[in-house]
Amino acid sequence: MSKRLRWRVLTILVVVAGIVGGYVATGYAHARKEWIGPGRPPLSEALKRGIKLGLDLRGGIHLVLQVNTADAVKAERDEAVETLRAQAREQGVTLGAFEFPSEASFTIATVSDEKKLDEIARRWLPDWTLGSAGGRASFVLKDAARRATEDNAVSQAIETIRNRVDEFGVAEPLIAREGSDRILVQLPGIDDPKRVKDLIKNTAFLELKLVEKGPSTDKAQLLPPDGKIPADMELIEGKPDPGQRSTNWYLVRKAAAITGRDLKNARPSKGQFGANSVSFYLTAAGAEKFGAFTGANVNRYLAIVLDKRVQSAPVIHERITDQGQINGSFTPEEANDLALVLRAGALPAGLTYLEERTVGPSLGLDSIRKGIAASVAGGLLVFVAVVFYYRRAGWNAVLALILNAILLLGMMSLFNATLTLPGIAGFILTIGMAVDSNVLIFERIREELRAGRAPKTAIENGFSKAFATIIDTHITVIISAIFLLQFGTGPVKGFAVTLMIGLLISVFTAVFVSHTVFELEYGRRQHIDALSI
Amino acid sequence: MELFRQTNIDFLRWKWWAIGASWALILIGLLSIKLHNGLKFGIDFAGGTQIALRFRQRPDIDRLRKLLDTGNFGDNGIQRYEAPEKNEVLIRVQQQKKEGRDITAEVLALLRQGLGASADPARLDLNIQGRDNLAARLVAADPDRVAGKPGTNPADTYGRVAELIIAHRSRLAIFQSPADVDGVPGITPAVKDWVKANTTAGPFVLLSAESVGPQVGADLRKTALWATATSILGMLVYIAWRFRSLPFGVGAVVALIHDTLITVGLLSLFGREFNLVVVAAILTLVGYSVNDTVVVYDRIRENQRSPKKEPLETVINRSINQTLSRTVLTSGATMLVVLALFFLGGEVLHTFALTLIIGILIGTYSSIYVAAPIVVIWKNVLGRRKLAAVSPAPAPRPAAPSPAPRPSAPASSPNASPGKRKKHRR
Repeated sequence: MSKRLRWRVLTILVVVAGIVGGYVATGYAHARKEWIGPGRPPLSEALKRGIKLGLDLRGGIHLVLQVNTADAVKAERDEAVETLRAQAREQGVTLGAFEFPSEASFTIATVSDEKKLDEIARRWLPDWTLGSAGGRASFVLKDAARRATEDNAVSQAIETIRNRVDEFGVAEPLIAREGSDRILVQLPGIDDPKRVKDLIKNTAFLELKLVEKGPSTDKAQLLPPDGKIPADMELIEGKPDPGQRSTNWYLVRKAAAITGRDLKNARPSKGQFGANSVSFYLTAAGAEKFGAFTGANVNRYLAIVLDKRVQSAPVIHERITDQGQINGSFTPEEANDLALVLRAGALPAGLTYLEERTVGPSLGLDSIRKGIAASVAGGLLVFVAVVFYYRRAGWNAVLALILNAILLLGMMSLFNATLTLPGIAGFILTIGMAVDSNVLIFERIREELRAGRAPKTAIENGFSKAFATIIDTHITVIISAIFLLQFGTGPVKGFAVTLMIGLLISVFTAVFVSHTVFELEYGRRQHIDALSI
Repeated sequence: MELFRQTNIDFLRWKWWAIGASWALILIGLLSIKLHNGLKFGIDFAGGTQIALRFRQRPDIDRLRKLLDTGNFGDNGIQRYEAPEKNEVLIRVQQQKKEGRDITAEVLALLRQGLGASADPARLDLNIQGRDNLAARLVAADPDRVAGKPGTNPADTYGRVAELIIAHRSRLAIFQSPADVDGVPGITPAVKDWVKANTTAGPFVLLSAESVGPQVGADLRKTALWATATSILGMLVYIAWRFRSLPFGVGAVVALIHDTLITVGLLSLFGREFNLVVVAAILTLVGYSVNDTVVVYDRIRENQRSPKKEPLETVINRSINQTLSRTVLTSGATMLVVLALFFLGGEVLHTFALTLIIGILIGTYSSIYVAAPIVVIWKNVLGRRKLAAVSPAPAPRPAAPSPAPRPSAPASSPNASPGKRKKHRR
């Protein structure tokens, strides 16, 4: 064996051993995370876990949500209005009626002292542009501030969703921002779409408010004689009871005694008569506020308002400090999930589902079986065809193809790439490309032989002449794979990644490995009478 | 074995026939698209909801359709999925006008109710519930009495039990009754008894559910079009650069557009749906088609370098003949693989495989009959014009390739010159 040949063989062995070793090591690392039994997970488990499977193969949920950032901007506006009112009162400025032309602006019909208002605005509302003329004032949220608010809402929503998903206990969740206001959530292994969706979407904004009047099914009955809702009160609908036609209404104080921010913990519990309920525990500051509030309002009703709906309105029997209970007709799952979202915190803005894909575990299993069957059948057909057509050289191609498949799996594991169903298709197509390279080379060798070249020269010429074409063909397909990657969507991306890695490996196996094997076969002999090709 | 031994077919003789055939195929496709009122978009692009269910017994499609009509979903469709003995159906519901409806949940609830499944919330439906709900109920009931025992965590223990039960459902395809838990390996009789007493087996299993909003659908349509257009442009740039010649680049791209148009048209003719996976197949086919074209072009360029002055037609004809055996063999091998996908890959990959089958056939044909003739036609037309403009006298061969003289072809095979190769071998 010449020195150069020895180097080639060594390179091949090192590359193959490295990639296969990497695959097994990754497999062990993944398997160990979930291995509960004693000792090390067995090799079979490691081999199964070497490659991350996509949602379409292992089952799970893929969601794209949009954060309704306008909600957050509106909240910002309401806060500004409150601040402005309070400051104006303090400084003796009389403000007329407020109007809200959009979520990022408001106008005041009359202002008694424009100069003072300007001072207040400059000091307390730096994010707002004030325009005043003829006693009217209008405030518009500055663009930069608006963008910051929206951005914050999305980051906060991601944080909240992550908390909830973590509490729910999902292995390897993916929660990522997509574009400016979209969030991608991928939860492998989850097969309960409705429950997860409700869990994520639940705004979970909890407020405890004092009931002035109610409940009543007739709204008018709750209002004072003039029929107007008093400035510091609001009407809130109750949660509909199952089996009850009309809903109850409550007239409650606008200012909340405590909100979800004052919670330290929440957990499902059993209420009266063993009904499912949720117990919550307050922080020290929250407990102080709540204690003072309940102490002053013994024997009155307290509305527990969740996402603008009254869940229940129990009587305050005594001063309560650090804990309370939310009752309602919950199923065990609902109680569990409500406790969970209260623990994880409220969402800063509402969410809309833009896209939702669920794959059940049985379909995933079916897909894997079919994918493997198609791969094995396709591979075998190609092997038979190649060996039949090229005889001994065909075995050389078969070796290259098998090596190609092994290295592709190994590289995918090392790159931490995800195998999806279209990815399996990409895998199969890579085999097609690898065959193409071998065919190009073998046909060239045949041509050289026909032209009367000696076998050894024919092999050399065949490889060198086919080389440029092989590079060209691979680059063109890689270019199309790069454009495929533009689809951010999981399965198609998986296809592109598999195809690209496969093509790179196919250059290596078809050109480098095949050539080396030919040389190993024929290199040592001085005279070759005929090639089996 | 050899299929073609030094063939010498005059391919270019039939070029006008081929161009006619290509136009005919393109027009048939376009006509089909027109008659179908545009492409049939799947929910990826059109938006809407698609749910695949597996039933316990052979589903009565008419009954299901009637049930769905009571749900006020607007336009909906229901069809069998996979082989009939699998009892699977695919339900489609159009994009809803009112936002915020959870169509999947509504459809499932409606069907369960309509098919007489138990509505008692205390009894879990084993066929529709996931692992987590089952585990939570088991933890609450604790049939194995593990709570409080040292070294055990009920959530983990029952999580594993629930996983085994759901895995068994996947193996069985569906639970016929809660008594099927007797076949679950590795769980205690106490758990089995609890399951039998506290669960039901509903009429169907949820295989998959997909819902795409109108915004996402429009976005995906845009991305798909953009990706296809830019990838074709990328090919034009690469080939024009690689062969230092515009007619070659244009020939390859015309072949590509030709392949894409015909494939899309034929998919419409076969009534196939257009979704993300099909676009992936079309982009793959773009790569394949160029691949085939490049092999022929490479040969043409190589043959043009020979000192013999020959007409371009002869060179191209010879190149096609020389690569014919490779073209047929590679297409054949890839076709074998794609056929395996078509027959064994299951419903999801069916259209993907069909697209590639059409694509490989058309792509192979186009690299012979579209890409190469265009180079000839381009040079003939342009050459004649040049001749007429420059001088009527006999001019140097107009059909000679774009000026890429031999020594200054750096992009060609690195081992092309024999001297260099010898040196390399040492």
